[in-house]
Amino acid sequence: MEIAEKASSGVSTVSVRASADSPAARRQRRERRRAYFLLAPGVLWMVLFMVVPMIMVVYVSFWTQTTFAIHPTITTDSWVRFLTSSTYLTSTWTTIRIWAIVLVATLVIGYPVALFIGLLVRNTTVQTTLLILCIIPFWTSFLIRIIAWRPMLGTQGAINTILLDLHLIDHPLRFLLFSEFSVLVGMTQIYCVFMVGPITFMLSRIDPSIIEAARDLGAGFWRIFWKIILPLSLPGVMVGSIFVSVMVLGEFATAASLSGRKVNLLGNIIVTQVGSLKWAFASVAGVVLTIIIVVVITALLRVVNIRKEV
Amino acid sequence: MLALNSVSKWYGEVCALDRLNVVIPDDCYVSLLGASGSGKTTLLRVIAGFEEQDEGTVTLNEVRLEGMPPHRRGIGFVFQNFALFPHLSVFDNIAFGLRYRETGAERDGSVIRQRVADMVRLVGLEGLERRAVTAISGGQRQRVALARTLVAEPRVVLLDEPLGALDANLRERMCDELKTIRERLGVTFLHVTGSESEALLMGDMVAVLADRRIAQIAPADELYARPVSPEVARRLNAYNILSGKLSNGAFRSKASGFPVRGEHLVDGTPIDVAVRFDRFTVRPSGAAGGAEAFVEARFIASEFTGALFLSFFRSNDGQLLQVVTHMSGPEPEMYETGKDYRLAFDPNDAIVYSGEAA
Repeated sequence: MEIAEKASSGVSTVSVRASADSPAARRQRRERRRAYFLLAPGVLWMVLFMVVPMIMVVYVSFWTQTTFAIHPTITTDSWVRFLTSSTYLTSTWTTIRIWAIVLVATLVIGYPVALFIGLLVRNTTVQTTLLILCIIPFWTSFLIRIIAWRPMLGTQGAINTILLDLHLIDHPLRFLLFSEFSVLVGMTQIYCVFMVGPITFMLSRIDPSIIEAARDLGAGFWRIFWKIILPLSLPGVMVGSIFVSVMVLGEFATAASLSGRKVNLLGNIIVTQVGSLKWAFASVAGVVLTIIIVVVITALLRVVNIRKEV
Repeated sequence: MLALNSVSKWYGEVCALDRLNVVIPDDCYVSLLGASGSGKTTLLRVIAGFEEQDEGTVTLNEVRLEGMPPHRRGIGFVFQNFALFPHLSVFDNIAFGLRYRETGAERDGSVIRQRVADMVRLVGLEGLERRAVTAISGGQRQRVALARTLVAEPRVVLLDEPLGALDANLRERMCDELKTIRERLGVTFLHVTGSESEALLMGDMVAVLADRRIAQIAPADELYARPVSPEVARRLNAYNILSGKLSNGAFRSKASGFPVRGEHLVDGTPIDVAVRFDRFTVRPSGAAGGAEAFVEARFIASEFTGALFLSFFRSNDGQLLQVVTHMSGPEPEMYETGKDYRLAFDPNDAIVYSGEAA
């Protein structure tokens, strides 16, 4: 009866209520409920532990800070101090500079490794083994990996000893340790693998026959690299760059233990300010850091539209 | 002329090609028929130069190709999965070879545009030049792959199961187009396929790859009418092969016996006899047959495929036999499953192979 009614009334006049109660609509609602259910824990977690704290940090950055106390009277004092102090502006610049150098270094060192593992090794077992070899340093703690650079780079360390013994230098090289150089070396070593992983993944997905086709059409190795391999691996480069960027921009431990306090990153400033209970000022640095990270990631995503490429 | 002389290729202990000889004439459509795993793709890869043979020579117009990288050989390769560059447009895919080849790269943009436009017209891709190759259909991708290879003007084009990824309708249309395109360019196509009908349809010449060698290369009709060995006959999927012995000028097996023209053969030698599926007439068991040869066999099942009616029988010595009836003839009668029949044929239609040669 109802069906007959619907049939006679035609497509355009089928009432909304009737279609809302149809089995198809019920199924759609059920599936939507399931999707929300799966989403809920993550959203809840993010709201409680990310969105709310972020809002708090921005809010606190405008609180009034005295030497020993902080009270919620709105002021721009901390912001003015941050933006007019050469110390803090310099450390912002240092953060950006170190981020850029480490990003380029991990890419230059990591890409050939990824190229080897992802493209030249075609056996998946060997590929996996090599990738595991890359992360073996991560089986020790972060601090040990950092501090291990001291006996390597120090004035009486391995590198200086070898260079002295080979008579390549007369005096130990002092710039190796407790300098910006040692921070760069330490960070590059630690974060390189985060570049290698995603690039390897993208490269290993390239169909070998595509490269054979390019060879058959007459292109030499470098042409194939620039025109085929590199463009197809760009999403991996972007994902790796985002990993490295996020981690390097928020870094403080490497600078703290390898720079001899000569390199102050925004992360180090936050640590010291929090340590001396300067919450408002730490919040300002935190907000500045977050803005830098957002800008960097947005810029990287602009370069390659990951969703389109993958 | 592309000539392979005594070419062998091993993968460790496994032999893929065994002293293979073949001559592919110029300006000719050659289809290469072989079962999967028979070494078809290996043969193509050796000719293209993606792999080197372990022994033997490959020459194109008297020039030896071994040691030469793929792009210097003047041989184009169309991949089974098309292997298009996924990040480039249709135009850029086709222009790739012209722009980026090591020797003789074309720098003049207008020349590239002209040549790509000619090729686009030839393969019928007009209007799709700016599309991403991920946004076109399977048949269109096939054309892009072909155009990309042809624009470099190779002397020989190797096509590795080029129609395998297309649906049946499209496959038939592409068959005609491939032939037309080839005729217009006057190059040689070597088309590898596992389908006997495709091989016979496409090839001016058909080569059959069996036991890691070229068992026969001949014009399609000749190959179909007179396969040189039971292996070739088997690959054509159109012949029942009966195995038995020669005895007093007659073929003898448990299921059959009939006189054959095998005067040159010694009595008692094992022989194989090939009879085409459509040469059989099904008669009731024990029917008087006169001069007809026959096999006694039990009916198993029938398949209706449109223009053809296939019936399967099992002979007394356990062999599966197939009989094809064309639906254009009188309505085929229904056989009774499990009942014995007599599969009769004219002994003159039987092709006799001596067992030793096979």
